[in-house]
Amino acid sequence: MRRSDAITNRGTDEIIIHGPDGEVSVGNFIARAAKLAAQLPDRRYVINLATDRYHFILGFCAAIIAGRCTLMPPNRLQQTVQQVAADYVDCISLGEDSIDGVERFEIDFDSLAATDSDVAIPRISSQQLCAIVFTSGSTGTPTPNHKYWETLRVGTLGNVELLMQNVTDRVNLLATVPPQHMWGLETSILIPLFCNVAVCHRTPFFPMDIADALESLPEPRILVSSPAHLDAFFASDVAQLKIEKILSATAPMSAELAKNLEQQFDAQLVEVFGCSEAGIIAKRSTAIEEPWQLSRSFAVEVNDDGTIIRAPHLPEEVILQDIIEFIDEGHFRWCGRHQDMVNIAGKRGSLADLNLRLQAIPGVVDGVIFMPNVDSKRLAALVVAPTLMPSDIVAQLRLGIEAAFLPRPIYKVLKLPRQETGKLTKKSIVDLFARTKRSRTTKNGDAADN
Amino acid sequence: MQPQSEHELELAELIVESLNLEDISAADIQPEEQLFGDGLGLDSIDALELALAVTQKYAVQLRADDANIKEVFGSLRSLSAYIAANSP
Repeated sequence: MRRSDAITNRGTDEIIIHGPDGEVSVGNFIARAAKLAAQLPDRRYVINLATDRYHFILGFCAAIIAGRCTLMPPNRLQQTVQQVAADYVDCISLGEDSIDGVERFEIDFDSLAATDSDVAIPRISSQQLCAIVFTSGSTGTPTPNHKYWETLRVGTLGNVELLMQNVTDRVNLLATVPPQHMWGLETSILIPLFCNVAVCHRTPFFPMDIADALESLPEPRILVSSPAHLDAFFASDVAQLKIEKILSATAPMSAELAKNLEQQFDAQLVEVFGCSEAGIIAKRSTAIEEPWQLSRSFAVEVNDDGTIIRAPHLPEEVILQDIIEFIDEGHFRWCGRHQDMVNIAGKRGSLADLNLRLQAIPGVVDGVIFMPNVDSKRLAALVVAPTLMPSDIVAQLRLGIEAAFLPRPIYKVLKLPRQETGKLTKKSIVDLFARTKRSRTTKNGDAADN
Repeated sequence: MQPQSEHELELAELIVESLNLEDISAADIQPEEQLFGDGLGLDSIDALELALAVTQKYAVQLRADDANIKEVFGSLRSLSAYIAANSP
């Protein structure tokens, strides 16, 4: 059975993007994307590295219309992109910067915009492979996830139902997260194709930039971000404006930060639970509730092996490393992760793997890498290694671990609080860490040695 | 290596301290060395932490859309110059 569906279900007169040169209607946007689709070189893959969101969404939709597949590397580092290009040889890149050894296609924005005219809304085959999203674990080796049009379209309709209820008049969305990350793709690129949302072309980063970009948008506003960005944004206290809704994902948020954000911006803070393989799965109002509300798109089975996610729009079932417990049919509590998986800067890593690497370093007698608390942005480590400096340990870890997972700080201790069975409890580790940290701070904050 | 100016050394100390960089001492950060990506290997979470520390210490708000972070934060020297130019 083959079916096809329109690339957007929106009215052509509605605004889809606040571009660098002003608002662009759905009709004009589709016309430009169709024109670009006809210009793209005859390659199967497009590596879309654009940081400007207008640039990205135009290239992304043009690639879909042209039947090409967009590749989204986990970061824009030269090495990462070159690796992806080596694995998918028949490719070009789009974006502001060029990467050595990867052919770049330069979009002529002026010519695309010169003759805006309505075109028929293109229809896309449900089985078309539209994107490959790469996730990188603690080792930094990218793992591909295949996204078919059916997955993106039906998944997005579910996300609109879950996150955009009651949106009839246009809302204006700003995202601080890159469009290449699944969280940024689902919210800032795909939702505007299926809901009355106009997305801002900018990707502000520092608090002042976020404030600027928000002020440039008319109300009502939605901010899509991460706890790291939101924490800095709140702490810097640079903006006094109303934000209708703040969506946060990529790492857990504390109830305290959620409450602070709601108060400061008169906002509704919605935290989202998901993964690159399945997309957005659940949401909660973190300021007032702990349980997650499951999206109606998914069926979840909890068994001894883990948590299995199924949905008609997913090509295969997804096994989560998270342990969850259902309260009723539509709500669950998150109870931790299998193998102690951690999420840092939107990347997933296994603590067990990191700990093995730490303990394998010559000179390390014992050691543990852990997440100090829910608000921590970095892992920390306690290490027994009489002959090594913390700097030696970091240098060794750096050889096999992606930078985001390097523990900071590393404190040297005499021994770890292991129980008779050899087990380490999280509480005993966190207590020892806090004690060590305190004793160092009282010694004038000397963090170089002990 | 090129010598650090007094302000650059002070900033280097702030970087090492606020980011818990165990394997680097402030005096070792080359003024022209890339701070992010291949150089010191800092990432975007570091950029936010550092921006907060810079705001607290120098009352300077860093600004840059995603694409320009590399330029402002390019090196100890460029960041130091940016702070000097934007100090109240």
